[in-house]
Amino acid sequence: MPKLEHSPLQPANPIEIEKKTSFLRLLWHNYKKNKLAVIGLGIILAFIILAVFAGLIAPEGINEQKTGERLLPPSSQYWLGTDDFGRDILSRILHGARLSLTVGFVAVIGSVIVGTLVGVIAGYYGKWIDALISRGFDILLAFPSILLAIAIVAVLGPSLQNALLAIAIINVPTFGRIVRSKVLGLKEEDYVEAARSIGMKNSRIIIYHILPNSMAPIIVQATLCVATAILEAAALGFLGLGAQAPDPEWGRMLSDSRTYLQQAPWTVFFPGIAIMLTVLGFNLIGDGLRDALDPKMKE
Amino acid sequence: MKKQFIRFGLLLVFMLLIVGCSEDSSTEGEGETQDPGETEKATELQDTLVFGRGADSTSLDPATETDGETFYVTQQIYDTLIDYEDGTTKLQPALATEWEASEDGKTFVLTLRDGVTFQDGTPFNAEAVVANFERWMSAEDFIYYGSMFGGYGEDEANIIERVEATSDLEVTFQLKRPSAPFLKNLAMSPFAIASPEAFDSLAENPVGTGPFKLDDWARNETITLVKNEDYWEDGKPYLNRVIFQVIPDNSARLTALQNGEIDLMDGVNPSDQTIIESDENLKVFSRAPLNVAYMPMNNETAPFDDPLVRQAVNHAIDKEALIEGFFEGNAEPAKNMLPPTIDGYNDEIEPYAYDVEKAKELLAEAGYEAGELEVDLWTMDNPRPYMPAPAKIAESIQKNLADVGIIANIQTLDWSTYLEKAKNGEMPTFLIGWIGDNGDADNFLYTLLGTGSGNNYSFYSNEAVDKILLEAQAATDDAARADLYKQAQVLIHKDAPVVPLVHYESLMAGSSTLENYTPAPTGSEDFTDVTFSE
Repeated sequence: MPKLEHSPLQPANPIEIEKKTSFLRLLWHNYKKNKLAVIGLGIILAFIILAVFAGLIAPEGINEQKTGERLLPPSSQYWLGTDDFGRDILSRILHGARLSLTVGFVAVIGSVIVGTLVGVIAGYYGKWIDALISRGFDILLAFPSILLAIAIVAVLGPSLQNALLAIAIINVPTFGRIVRSKVLGLKEEDYVEAARSIGMKNSRIIIYHILPNSMAPIIVQATLCVATAILEAAALGFLGLGAQAPDPEWGRMLSDSRTYLQQAPWTVFFPGIAIMLTVLGFNLIGDGLRDALDPKMKE
Repeated sequence: MKKQFIRFGLLLVFMLLIVGCSEDSSTEGEGETQDPGETEKATELQDTLVFGRGADSTSLDPATETDGETFYVTQQIYDTLIDYEDGTTKLQPALATEWEASEDGKTFVLTLRDGVTFQDGTPFNAEAVVANFERWMSAEDFIYYGSMFGGYGEDEANIIERVEATSDLEVTFQLKRPSAPFLKNLAMSPFAIASPEAFDSLAENPVGTGPFKLDDWARNETITLVKNEDYWEDGKPYLNRVIFQVIPDNSARLTALQNGEIDLMDGVNPSDQTIIESDENLKVFSRAPLNVAYMPMNNETAPFDDPLVRQAVNHAIDKEALIEGFFEGNAEPAKNMLPPTIDGYNDEIEPYAYDVEKAKELLAEAGYEAGELEVDLWTMDNPRPYMPAPAKIAESIQKNLADVGIIANIQTLDWSTYLEKAKNGEMPTFLIGWIGDNGDADNFLYTLLGTGSGNNYSFYSNEAVDKILLEAQAATDDAARADLYKQAQVLIHKDAPVVPLVHYESLMAGSSTLENYTPAPTGSEDFTDVTFSE
């Protein structure tokens, strides 16, 4: 096997891995100095674990209706009480975490991919294609985001998938613009000029030089965006345009229970708290990352 | 770091502020509702009634509509020839002062009230009444005419052969066959007499002889009516203005009532009854039940064209749980499509019991395995007078159906589109209800299940049933009619074209100063006598 160590395919790797670990280590070093950001990370990790193991942890299924046990306050049997169908709110919140986190992550990953692609093309190639794409972004950004999401869902029909798609679409211009402005600056850098002068193709330049260097702001923005995406999914659910019954989406749980605000506040309180905690968690992480990724950290 | 703490601190302060504000405003709000009320009382009596309801009227021409939201308003603008006494379905004079039937039950002579004019100045007389009937008979747009009088124009089914103005103030109806519910039909909201001069634009510009006239209609928000100064009953109405305000959400509407923004509301959540009763500024009115909430299944298309499947669904639904959960006990389980108070109700029918195993067996017999059957279950997005929480009831039924192996996908739609879809038979199964118009069994059984009736949303058709129902329409002896309806219910029960859910005693809530208001069992009442006390 020693031959392989000298394989021409491998020589760059050890250096690169070391560079990466040192980058991540540096990032973590900077990140952990911010106590709030660490708390945020803790909250989100906790929610992710709860969501992944919801099936094992949750005491009941999501739709076990027990008419005799409607609107019970929190007790040792039902930790967070029961809703108007006699369903265990804790179980529904845990399963709801899956929906909310999935929507948050998948929608944002989708908008990051599309936004980056379009943004790079606009920024790197410029001219008419830039004008076209940028005006497209302007049009999307001209609408209040939730209104646009409602319009998209109204056309596609209300469901969780369509809500996810709508949220992904409305977030594309956010990433597109960030990437475009970053690329505009990067393509004038000396090392890009150098790469071009030795005859490197545009696609290679974009993949190996432009993209890695424009990732930092995207990571920060993506984290913050997960928070808004979860909030938007909840808003759509609340309006009846997102998850459909009996899916335990948090926003839907809120709207289903709002008639019982006076008699059974826990039916509204706990889904609300769940939304608040995840959104707060992602915002804290985003803030922490922003500070940790600040170019000044290299000092 | 420091910046972070400041930011978090600010966030906390901000959140506390929000919590603080909302608590303040709620307590202040309660104090305020009393104060302006008291100062107002001291000066003069309130003369504007604001009525909060769940949805807007679809049109202001009652003859073309079937929904209660429309009749709430048209009942104020138009008068019918005969009226119901407050709170009952007994008849009393209105635009007609006297009526007389011939011995064979085929000729009716109505004497009209003298000196009445329409709100546009057109005189009210026998010609106007004839013009209205001719209009209703002219086209199938007048759904209620067809379902109450059998058909249109020259149709054999149309029971009215001739309507004649036998003098300026006398109208004679010649019927093809005796019709027991004829006079009760005349008292129904859709057969209100409109000004013949205004026929072309009644939907937007209603002109009747009623106690109020239209002032302004802001679609989906408010309909404002003002007093008709020339109303034929001297000194009435007592109110100067009536405003119908749309507040779709039941809880929001109650909050508006508690804050004094509205004076009367329908669609009280049963669960809020205790809150209203404990509030000394409010009172509860209950509407005598003359309704049925039910779930039609499209009898013409699979899978509900199979009676076994329909019976299975009947066995699958736990009505007691629905009543306990979403009617707070203010309802009784329905086994027939008639409310029990109506003559002809068959109490001997054995209801389809809630029985999961039986339902599964019936489905298996019909050839469906568990999970094989998948249907769309439609529900409206707003509460109805016979069903305070349709979406929740749908969710509960969805679970009931899942338990017997039917996958139901809930689809929600707004009310006007919903009715359109129902009429076109585009929904395999859905939630709906019926509020009796005239307190007659015919108005439930023939209207909802007669072949070709505009409101037969399940598209049920059974010749034997039709024959009995038509025979009952013509019977003049009350006991014989009741017997026929009992027979019809036995056949209908066996076919199970729909799932009768509940009969709901719906609640209204109003300000405690509201006087002389009696909810009509038929669902819409006029506000001619309503006053406010000190």
